[in-house]
Amino acid sequence: MAVYVHNKGIPWEVQQNGTLAPVDHLRNERSESPTPGLVVGTEPGAGQESAMFVHAQSFEDLTADSEPTTEPEPEGETVLGESAEEEALCLGAEQETQEEQQPEVEVEEERPENRSKEEDVCSEVWRSHRKHVFVLSEAGKPIYTRYGTEEALSSTMGVMMALVSVVEADKNIIRSIHADGYKVVFLRKTPLVLVGVSQTCQSDRELTRELQYIYYQIVSLLTLTQLNHIFQHKQNYDLRRLLAGSEHLTDNLLRLLDRDPGLLLSAVTCLPLASSTRDLVSSSLQAAKAKSLVFSILLAGDRLVTLVRKKDQYLHHMDLHLLFNLVGSSSSFREGEGWTPICLPKFNTAGFFHAHISYLEPASDLCLILVSTDREDFFNLSDCKRRFLERLSRRTAYQSLKEALKCPSYSVTQVGIPELRHFLYKSKSSGLYTSPELPLPYQSLEEQERLMGLYQYLHSRLHQPTRPLRSIYRCGETENLLAWVTSGFELYLCFSPLGTKAMAVAAVNKLLKWIRREEDRLFILSPMTY
Amino acid sequence: MLMISPRMASGTQEKQYTPSLLSFFLYNPSFGSREGEEEKKILFYHPSEVEKNEKIRNVGLCEAIVQFTRTFCPTKPAKSLHTQKNRQFFFEAEDSFWIVMVVRNPMVEKPNKDGRPPTIEYQEEEILDTVYGAVLRECYSMYKLFNGTFGRAMEAGGVELLMQKLDKFFYRYLQTLHLQSCDLLDVFGGIAFFPLDKMTYLKIQSFVNRVEESLSLIKYTAFLYNDQLIWSGLEQDDMRILYKYLTTSLFPRHSEPELAGRDSPLRPEVAGNLLHYGRFLTGPANLKDPEAKFRFPRIFVNTEDSYEELHLIVYKAMSAAVCFMISASVELTREFCEQLDGLVGPQLTLLASDICEQYNVNRRISGPDKEPQFKFIYFNHMNLAEKSTIHMRKTASVSLTSVHPDLMKILGDINCDFARVDEDEEIIVKAMTDYWVVGKKSDQRELYVILNQKNANLIEVNEEVKRLCATQFNNIFFLD
Repeated sequence: MAVYVHNKGIPWEVQQNGTLAPVDHLRNERSESPTPGLVVGTEPGAGQESAMFVHAQSFEDLTADSEPTTEPEPEGETVLGESAEEEALCLGAEQETQEEQQPEVEVEEERPENRSKEEDVCSEVWRSHRKHVFVLSEAGKPIYTRYGTEEALSSTMGVMMALVSVVEADKNIIRSIHADGYKVVFLRKTPLVLVGVSQTCQSDRELTRELQYIYYQIVSLLTLTQLNHIFQHKQNYDLRRLLAGSEHLTDNLLRLLDRDPGLLLSAVTCLPLASSTRDLVSSSLQAAKAKSLVFSILLAGDRLVTLVRKKDQYLHHMDLHLLFNLVGSSSSFREGEGWTPICLPKFNTAGFFHAHISYLEPASDLCLILVSTDREDFFNLSDCKRRFLERLSRRTAYQSLKEALKCPSYSVTQVGIPELRHFLYKSKSSGLYTSPELPLPYQSLEEQERLMGLYQYLHSRLHQPTRPLRSIYRCGETENLLAWVTSGFELYLCFSPLGTKAMAVAAVNKLLKWIRREEDRLFILSPMTY
Repeated sequence: MLMISPRMASGTQEKQYTPSLLSFFLYNPSFGSREGEEEKKILFYHPSEVEKNEKIRNVGLCEAIVQFTRTFCPTKPAKSLHTQKNRQFFFEAEDSFWIVMVVRNPMVEKPNKDGRPPTIEYQEEEILDTVYGAVLRECYSMYKLFNGTFGRAMEAGGVELLMQKLDKFFYRYLQTLHLQSCDLLDVFGGIAFFPLDKMTYLKIQSFVNRVEESLSLIKYTAFLYNDQLIWSGLEQDDMRILYKYLTTSLFPRHSEPELAGRDSPLRPEVAGNLLHYGRFLTGPANLKDPEAKFRFPRIFVNTEDSYEELHLIVYKAMSAAVCFMISASVELTREFCEQLDGLVGPQLTLLASDICEQYNVNRRISGPDKEPQFKFIYFNHMNLAEKSTIHMRKTASVSLTSVHPDLMKILGDINCDFARVDEDEEIIVKAMTDYWVVGKKSDQRELYVILNQKNANLIEVNEEVKRLCATQFNNIFFLD
């Protein structure tokens, strides 16, 4: 069967950072059905111009302990880097002053009901949480806990730090502790230590990756430079003072990690939109440029509408997820134009960008993020937004866009495979994925997280670092799953438990053809730059 | 003491080191709980030459890890600790008695230029917790088989006696651990059963009954052929560890004489007459020897309830071996052994040739041996039955498998997936090497198949496995 014969002509680990853009001659090879002789960059959803993100080609890339020095720095970074550096130097108390100046931006103090802060840390309820996350300083001081209060856990966190140090005394590094039904994962990211305690069946690597997200979330608020600076000055500084009011960002990020396939796949999903409309929105955004503007991102809820970037500047999907998280966890941006410093740690851990965040219309889901290098740029960017809106409103595209917002997702029944319940498809070269809305059996939160757990399981098996797999088929009592990775794409399918293997094989072919047919709508095929 | 077996990679100067035992120790935190008396907690420590403070520190870390995890689940403390360089496995064998095994991760040593010390890369994802956790539990089971429980030793002679016993047993036992060749079979710790027709099976049963009738001292009997079990009167868990001892330690030590020719000096004097081929594998090597000692190894079974101490007599004729177990309170004499030899020897010789004949008939029916397209491992949790066509030979020192170690680890991964959910499952994966691996779990049974059909697709693989199940396991229902 053709589907399972991997084209031998394609080297497996082809891509390096930054060389992702599909080679020109490949563009004409987009065949009707993608399977025969699929080449990277021609899979459904592959961008036609150049790649939008610097993205980790592989899961491995991401989990590799990348220190800033080894990180691939985008070209032209010097200019940006310098200004950012400057910024970082005079940072001292800037965070606070910034927020005082623009009170409407300040991250709210609101604490959602479900933040179970007051929980007794010795109770069964506290213990039974599926995933705990703790952040502490190297002095063993609590910085964050997902459940319970940091105060009540200060001795536990002290023990965590002690364990880390004892193992380090042997010139060794602690990774994880395993017990029946749960595991404890440690991540040392000087000057922080992150610990996850999970009852899920995720692998150590997956959990470590999630801790990295949390680490970068904190860095995005402070920059690594400032973080280091603080702890070099005062080893037992209580970082909670600086992070006060930002806990809900971390809370929300943890929820995203449990539910959003994008974070698992290192990819972003798009609002389904006719390509003509998307191109018009993109070009309007492209036209509304400013000197220090680096990225213009239009979101519809948690979906990307379009992203326009400065030539040669790439956004890492992790940074984009952090931006999504920032927007998704605060309602304050709805009240006006927001102006907030944000460090995009995968771009540069040393300095801040400044993001202009606003909704196109008060009740709309369309949120515009304009990322600039200049912290005095608020009015410039505000003007950019105005110009963009003006240009967009003059066209019918805006109407079509608003129309598209009404159905931000699609049902799996559109694919026409009765046994298929749900799927994730990621185009590796564009870093974009598509997935239908959750069908009936997975709509409750519990079932949604269970399905995500299954995808996480498939993902970790496929990407096992020393013995990766091409495909995995798992047949169980509640559903049948199939996952398949090639050099061009990753595909995860969930079938009803009554489906057969023959049906699954046929479904893959049919689905890939469907995605190819719909790729104009589901993916951003022609990303733009200023 | 480091057990290093460097393997030179061809072409380069890189050295590959397999996983090895770094340390193995036993402690009880309730001994020496006062400050300054920590050393009293340590009942056994290998390697013994480790400096005292380091021993105390390592034990302290284990205690801390176990205690720390009780924060999250008081009843299920840590079972293993992963670090960059090694893995530590914790096992509370008896109340407050902890056994810890530290295994160094496999590593690659890369030489550096300019005389700098070589770079060492640890391969952190190679060791499977399930495999080494099982190895550790087996260490305890083996100790218990020959020494009884820690608790009993404490009652009989206090800490001193226990420490003596531990020293004596583990000093030798640890040298027989070959951590680099442990795999899924160690997780199962199963028993290979000898396939037999009903008639021959009944013959064996009546033989066992007759012997137990005539020699009423015998409490339990186990019958094996070709290193495979046919009949056992012991409880499953006791038989499992006894089987392990017989097949990986006792039998291999005694196999040479039989392979040797009749006139070979290796062949022991066969009791003068050649009426039968029976001989003792434990106890006296030659009954006619006036100096012969009638001492047999002691084993401990049913330690949970009746706690029985038994003499273990292993008697063998050709490929048939029988274990007779007799209460340790009885003293075994020359007369008894002669009686047993006279009764069992001729009958067992006859029985062994019967089984051999039957076996050859069956082999002819099933057709000539041709290299099949697949290899498999089967395990049944209910009766511990195990069958592997992947392992060519399994002794204490070598486990020769016919497949790549990475494929064995994929089997281990699938086994972990099965262990996680208590429901019937099937997992089919295609490795990067294009091998297909199929795992099926149904009820208490697990089947793992490796197919070398690189161009096959999922449907064809499924058909192939169906055919295999039909021929090898036709009465077992597997989820389709």
